[in-house]
Amino acid sequence: MSSNILNFSLNRCTSVDKVNGTDLLSVCRVRDTFTDAEIRIVVKMPDMEIVEISGHFRHAYLDAVEDLDSRLQKVLGVRVGTGMLKIIKGLLGEEENCDQLVYMVEECCHGIILTLTKKVLLKAPDDEVGKFAFYSNMVKKSIRLYDRCAGFGKGTPLVAELEAENGGGAA
Amino acid sequence: MIVEFMRNKMVDVAHLDAETLSVHGVLTDSIYSLELDFKVRISDLVCSEVEGRWLRWTTPQCPRALTFLNEADGFCLAPGIDARIHKTMGRRACRHFANLFIECAYAVRETVKMLRWQAAVVSEPDLTLRDFIERGADDGSATSAEMQNPASSEETLASAVSASNGKASGKFPADVGQSSAGAAVGNQERGFVIDLHLHTAPASPCASSSVDEMIVEAKRIGLDGICLSDHNYLWSAEAVQALREKHNFLVLRVNEIVTEQGDMLVFGFYEDVQGIIRLAELKQRVAAVGGFIVAAHPFRGFLTFGADDVGLTPEKAMAREMFKWVDGVECLNGKVTVTENGLARHVATGLGLPATGGSDAHDVSTVGVCATAFESEIKSEEDLLAALKAGKYRPVNFR
Repeated sequence: MSSNILNFSLNRCTSVDKVNGTDLLSVCRVRDTFTDAEIRIVVKMPDMEIVEISGHFRHAYLDAVEDLDSRLQKVLGVRVGTGMLKIIKGLLGEEENCDQLVYMVEECCHGIILTLTKKVLLKAPDDEVGKFAFYSNMVKKSIRLYDRCAGFGKGTPLVAELEAENGGGAA
Repeated sequence: MIVEFMRNKMVDVAHLDAETLSVHGVLTDSIYSLELDFKVRISDLVCSEVEGRWLRWTTPQCPRALTFLNEADGFCLAPGIDARIHKTMGRRACRHFANLFIECAYAVRETVKMLRWQAAVVSEPDLTLRDFIERGADDGSATSAEMQNPASSEETLASAVSASNGKASGKFPADVGQSSAGAAVGNQERGFVIDLHLHTAPASPCASSSVDEMIVEAKRIGLDGICLSDHNYLWSAEAVQALREKHNFLVLRVNEIVTEQGDMLVFGFYEDVQGIIRLAELKQRVAAVGGFIVAAHPFRGFLTFGADDVGLTPEKAMAREMFKWVDGVECLNGKVTVTENGLARHVATGLGLPATGGSDAHDVSTVGVCATAFESEIKSEEDLLAALKAGKYRPVNFR
């Protein structure tokens, strides 16, 4: 065996484009040693509701997903938002050959969320003092960020003001 | 057409030696760029030496994430590991590293399947990959999966409730709301205050405090009662009664049900609904037994932006189909922003729907942050249902 020769390789690309003026088209494509698949969703703004979905899925050892198109249609009307994963999973099915399908729909949705996140982050100043203030204010505005990652962890500099305002915690 | 956002992920898996794989993952998108490297033992899918690098990041504190990545050392990358990755690496380090690590874990599982098939082909040259998978011969993950799921939450929960029954004492409702702190029960100014929305461990995997701890805290801060709203877990009437007696405290049930339109708090409806149900169908079933549906946190937003940032106006929000099917709206939820609660209030008022409040607490520190103040005393689930339908209550910031 040669360590130079790969056993497995995966490429996944998720891209988001604006369509119909304000709506967003998110496409997730995956190509790996076994899989070739693509999922496309259109999300209506500002409701963030999935209004179109389509895709194809080919896999080397899994059976084709039965009635892929009609199965995908089940997620129409679902809103991209917190808690969406359990909804998508519940609607698409939890069989093994649906795992990747569910993941790709989720990745499409994450693409939408990150598109909107990028718009917020573009407002961050470049200088260190301004940047610190920007993110410190962000966690004060959105308490959900508090202790959700290392950057906004309990007792760290970016949450210090928030904790001080709340007497040592963020509750 | 100019792309608004793009994320590329690449994972490759190679043999380091006969027993070990080396994994390299790259995530690069319009916001972040990062890499992961680690090793995996082929025999049991256990990973080690997890290391990461940032190439681009956002906050001045993001680099801290790197120090927590090695907490994934020892993880078994069998199916079912994703939730643990989200909860540990995603929470302690960074959700984007967790996203890439999940991708790497998938790649490892696929690689090991292929390696086992290739090994089998040596003695069975005609064995196809599909046949090999279908006969389950690849399944070295069974042992690993067991390692990830020491006990089902139902079993653990049953044990917990059983223990509660054993220690039960006192009688309910004679001492309802006899809290050691806070205002007197039934005080007309503050009302009869119940936290209508909270979660307990292990019934809700995302919660971290036990039902006993939540009740003790609720009593300590002076709440008059709580409603257990564990995700896809329906408490039995007997278990809740045992908790009431054990703690001399009002403990009620609400069924938090997931629909395609989001989470619904359903009162007076005790079917154990698993999976996702269409809201229209749920409404039909709840109405048949005289229940009451409250839309939980209807405008809960995201980490860095909320409903207001995407241009959702109250008028547009009111037109959502969800509001045709619900009887009330949770307008004060302890996990959402002031703006999002404000939008819910605006919509409820505009549509003439009653408003409730609940902490949505997942640990003791936030029990009672928000609650609902009723005009009259509640002694039972029947009382609660009747009060909800009567509309004589208001959401309150309690803690």
